[in-house]
Amino acid sequence: MMTAYDPCAHCEEMMQPYMDRVITDLERAEAEAHLDGCTYCRKRYRFEEKLRQFVRQAVHEPMAVGLKTKLAELRTPLL
Amino acid sequence: MVGWPGMSETTREPDARQLATEARDRVRFEEDALALSDQVYRVARHLVGSREEAEDLMQETYARAFRSWRSFTPGTNLRAWLLRILTNLNIDRGRKQQRTPDTQPLEEGDYFLYNKLEASGDGASDEERVVERLSQNDVVAALSEVPHDFRDVVVLVDVGDFTYADAAQILDIPIGTVMSRLHRGRRILKQAMAESAVGGEE
Repeated sequence: MMTAYDPCAHCEEMMQPYMDRVITDLERAEAEAHLDGCTYCRKRYRFEEKLRQFVRQAVHEPMAVGLKTKLAELRTPLL
Repeated sequence: MVGWPGMSETTREPDARQLATEARDRVRFEEDALALSDQVYRVARHLVGSREEAEDLMQETYARAFRSWRSFTPGTNLRAWLLRILTNLNIDRGRKQQRTPDTQPLEEGDYFLYNKLEASGDGASDEERVVERLSQNDVVAALSEVPHDFRDVVVLVDVGDFTYADAAQILDIPIGTVMSRLHRGRRILKQAMAESAVGGEE
């Protein structure tokens, strides 16, 4: 069965490697060429960037001060 | 003159200079490890379900790290070394190793969350405003729903900022497994966020 090449579907697959910067220069150039001309994918890539920042901030829960003290007390005492 | 290791039974008295060096190295290690505790906790907190568990796990980790500080190679990544201890302890604590990949429903694509949020909104499709439809609780709850094997990788890379290679070492899995779990884990996370933000299947 023949499936038509869908550049947006390909772009969707490239999103993780693109965001994580684990693609070749050529793949990056191809992705960027597509993104330049495709609002649909560009919005979704920008959203992914914002989403990652948001997730990082949202899950941040500072460590209790008391825990820090307890950890310091686990050190080997100096003679 | 006592040669290395210098603490053999034939040594009448420990070499004072050597002991001083060792004490200095140890104190430096302890200080370095403690300075990283906020960053280690940031990851630890989401590898387990509750603050209490995270605090217990941190204490076990630091107790072990301080005992076995000699096995750390100076100049290598101490934060990764600490997290390797922590993830091992977490698994030892009896966390069930989930074998879910075959039974998981097929997750949606990478654009799924955006599509879902965009469709649920007032028509605005600006990325920033679409992100704002998510609450902090949506994210925290969604993350806790991601199965352990996937969550570990997502937390190490997306919250802890570790490279694929570091995550592979910490979890003792191949880098290809890191990549595939990360990809699936992020998709599962997005699906869970979509569900908590705009409700499940219509």
